[in-house]
Amino acid sequence: MSAVWRAARAAVRRRRMQTFVIGLVVLCSTATIVVALGLLDASTGPFDRAFAHQRGAHVIATYDTQNPATSAPGVEAVAGPFPEVVLDVPADGGPIWATGPLTVVGRADPAGPVDRVDVWVGRWATGADEIVVTAQPPPDRADADRFGGDILGKKVSVPGRPVLTIVGVAYSLGNTADAWVSPATMAALGPSGSQVLYRFRHAADRAEVDAAIASVPRDGLTGTQSYLTRKAEVAAGPGTMLPFLVVFGVLGLVVAVLIVANVVSGAVISGFRHIGVLKAIGFTPRQVVLVYLVMVSVPSAAGAVLGTALGTVAARPLLAGAFQGLGFGARVDTGLWVPLTGALGVPVLVALVALVPARLAHRLSAAEAISAGSAPKAGRGLRVQRALSGTRLPRAVSLGLGLPFARPGRTALTMAALLLGVTTVTFAGGLATSVIRFGDAVDRADAVQAQVRPSNPDFGRVSTDRTDPQVEALLRGLPGTVYVTADLTLPLTVAGHRDPVQVDFLRGDATTLGYQAELTEGRWMAAPGEVVAASKALKNLGLRVGDTIRLTYDGREAPVTIVGRTMEAGIAGGDLFADWSVFTAIAPSYHLVNHEVMYSVRVQPGTSVESYLASVRAADPGLYAWSAVSGLGNTYTVSVVTISVVFSLMIGTVAALSVFNTVLLNVRERRRDLGMLKSIGMTPRQVVAMMVTSMAVLGLLVAVAGIPAGIAAHRLILPMVGRTAKIDLPAAMFHVWNPGALALMALAGVAIAVLGALLPSRTAARLPIAEVLHNE
Amino acid sequence: MTTVVRLDGVRKEFGGTTALDGVSLSVEGGEAVAVMGPSGCGKSTLLNMIAGLDRPTAGRVEVHDEDLGALSETGLALFRRRRIGMVFQFFNLLDDLSALDNVALAAQLMGIRAAQARRRALELFDELGIADRRNAYPASLSGGERQRVAVARALMNRPALLLADEPTGALDSRAGEQVMDLLLDLNQIGQTLLLVTHDTAMAERCASRVVELADGRVVA
Repeated sequence: MSAVWRAARAAVRRRRMQTFVIGLVVLCSTATIVVALGLLDASTGPFDRAFAHQRGAHVIATYDTQNPATSAPGVEAVAGPFPEVVLDVPADGGPIWATGPLTVVGRADPAGPVDRVDVWVGRWATGADEIVVTAQPPPDRADADRFGGDILGKKVSVPGRPVLTIVGVAYSLGNTADAWVSPATMAALGPSGSQVLYRFRHAADRAEVDAAIASVPRDGLTGTQSYLTRKAEVAAGPGTMLPFLVVFGVLGLVVAVLIVANVVSGAVISGFRHIGVLKAIGFTPRQVVLVYLVMVSVPSAAGAVLGTALGTVAARPLLAGAFQGLGFGARVDTGLWVPLTGALGVPVLVALVALVPARLAHRLSAAEAISAGSAPKAGRGLRVQRALSGTRLPRAVSLGLGLPFARPGRTALTMAALLLGVTTVTFAGGLATSVIRFGDAVDRADAVQAQVRPSNPDFGRVSTDRTDPQVEALLRGLPGTVYVTADLTLPLTVAGHRDPVQVDFLRGDATTLGYQAELTEGRWMAAPGEVVAASKALKNLGLRVGDTIRLTYDGREAPVTIVGRTMEAGIAGGDLFADWSVFTAIAPSYHLVNHEVMYSVRVQPGTSVESYLASVRAADPGLYAWSAVSGLGNTYTVSVVTISVVFSLMIGTVAALSVFNTVLLNVRERRRDLGMLKSIGMTPRQVVAMMVTSMAVLGLLVAVAGIPAGIAAHRLILPMVGRTAKIDLPAAMFHVWNPGALALMALAGVAIAVLGALLPSRTAARLPIAEVLHNE
Repeated sequence: MTTVVRLDGVRKEFGGTTALDGVSLSVEGGEAVAVMGPSGCGKSTLLNMIAGLDRPTAGRVEVHDEDLGALSETGLALFRRRRIGMVFQFFNLLDDLSALDNVALAAQLMGIRAAQARRRALELFDELGIADRRNAYPASLSGGERQRVAVARALMNRPALLLADEPTGALDSRAGEQVMDLLLDLNQIGQTLLLVTHDTAMAERCASRVVELADGRVVA
């Protein structure tokens, strides 16, 4: 054994560069594997993990009393009763997302046995007239701080109640409340009931949760909410992004394994001559195999340990940011098996991969092994080489083009790694574009920048006497206004259907609202009798584009034809868009109150939205105006784009390392050829051109296959996301590639190959000819 | 007659070992010079200096009035391409290329079109008597044939100086004889030749002058 160890140690020392490359490749690959496995692990039931971490409530029971009983069989933990009240915050009574009906709960602290609320900005409400509002944390800490700076200190006022100051922003995955106050503040607000939060020992499925709900005390019970409802909401919302993450995880894993296989097998094959020497001096075939296993295992073990540490450190903020952005909270726990697989599994993989060529060495006679590399051998890809030598290409380039044919196995493995690299970059690029377009379509930031609604006098605010047409005229006359669309949302019934539908009646510049970009079928309304429906509404109603339906209101009917389908719901989550004339036809006697109408305004490019809003308020203090552009941005977009970029870079780097290794092995094996070429006048630049060409051509070839593969993955995954979210995605989200983008993708493959090849090619260019040619 | 090679006080050290120690030498155009000496005396190192494959630690090397010490790596490559033809003991042919393409390669690196380079290579194959082996690959050629192909490659760009490092060292005696005849023929038609050998018979037969080296110095 000591002879084996000594020989292996000598081999490691003698091949410092090879050893370094094996260690580096294993390090990078292991880091990628750890991040990829972490991603896959975290993507498996992220809601359940985050919910367990927050000790979310399986059942939220609401009572009309302050002190309901809290005992139930099978309970693991219970919190409350907490007093609660629903405040109807007027549109101008607080920040836009803290208006409307707000369920406020009185809790002394955010911790406790159930529903550990994550206060991600500011602090918990402990003082008088303080409130903590709920919002999903953004993936980036800087965004969270910026958001906190904007929101903390803002007031929430409801007529007849104390004015509350926002002191913190918190998030409960179980959605137990919209806001929290201290018990003392709650007493001042006047609680209307209470909530009790239950965790049960068995609540894995609907049957168990139904049984649990049935077991909670019934006295004063006004309602219950199952956590499965929230889970379904998350699955249809942020959970739709999980398939993307899984694809990245799988790609990262496969690329890393392929590259380890390429590097290790190459290292063993390139040492055949050394194997012959070992056999000649008396090493048994078994000992030779052991020498090679030890030789690759030493750097791979070091690389695996360091890579696991690096991957674990890198994965934590990456996954935390991504999953926080998706609403699962900042803490992402991955199983212990992930780092163990990295630290132990990768060296085992390396040993197994090395075993295949090492067994070949086992069978090779000493004479055969010794002659490997020095005796002339039958060339490979001879027809290709002959054809290339007859072309008009510069000879260095045509020689480079022929190099990959000399080692088809190594070329295949390198191409596979590059192929996955290009596929990943293509998929990630398409995904990022789709997600950004999705965010833009939902935000419609280019279409509408300001929204205006007359204040409701019932809330004690300054109101306006202007009628609906007068408000519209005022807005149209303001400097900076480009388009104005009036919107009235009314619940109507569709003849033959029981549930009401929310209809947005639009007037003015409805074609400029930006919903055309969301059309998944048909077209926008062009005539008064036409409506456009949200895809979810069509599914629920069992209708299709082209169907004619009868809208019913107060006994009157209006036939309308569905001419288009949009990706998502209307302005206030509505089901149908219709022209204002339909409203006047179906409800001629409707007494329209001005604050029922909301106006969406597009301002001139370059106009400050804030100054425009100020000019609206100045023109009529009875108008409430707010920005339609979200300050937070689309957190899903940020999360998915971040993951896309990080994985593209990681997989691209590992693919480039594979190229680096291939060129390094080629240089080592072709030292004699390179020396001869230099001796007959090949310049250093020509040497670099030859070696880089040999890999650039692979990059170009894999682009031909990798780009369609990336597009196919995009086409496959995107509809899955749409189905999960129960929305149809518009064609614009699929057609994200143009010739320019595709050329860039192809260049990405070539760039990965060139970058990986450049360094060892320069080494080849500097090879000392005399030394190489005389070391026969 | 012009001086093709001029060495002046050339010294070469590898670590603490002196391979060449103040060698001065000149070779005139059309001469055939054999450098002889025991193993390790610095013969191949001397050849490398003249071919621009390595740089001296001290001294000056001029070939065809070109000071090699003043040339960059690219300049040396271009110098080798234009002025030098090299024949190695172990042939150093590319296994993946046919004999013809191995020879044409030297011209193609200069930017000469493939068809033109192949025409010139075929002329050399005819002259060297191996035209029937032009499409064969190195693995299927005999040692003598391989060395003839290597000589053809060395002559491809009509070099001012043909350098041969133990050209018969890896050949059997019959093939060695053929290669010696070939080198002699080339010198007789005016090719300047500098060969390194430890084979006295070869030196006597091919060279018009013998330079003997011992411990890195010219001793005769």
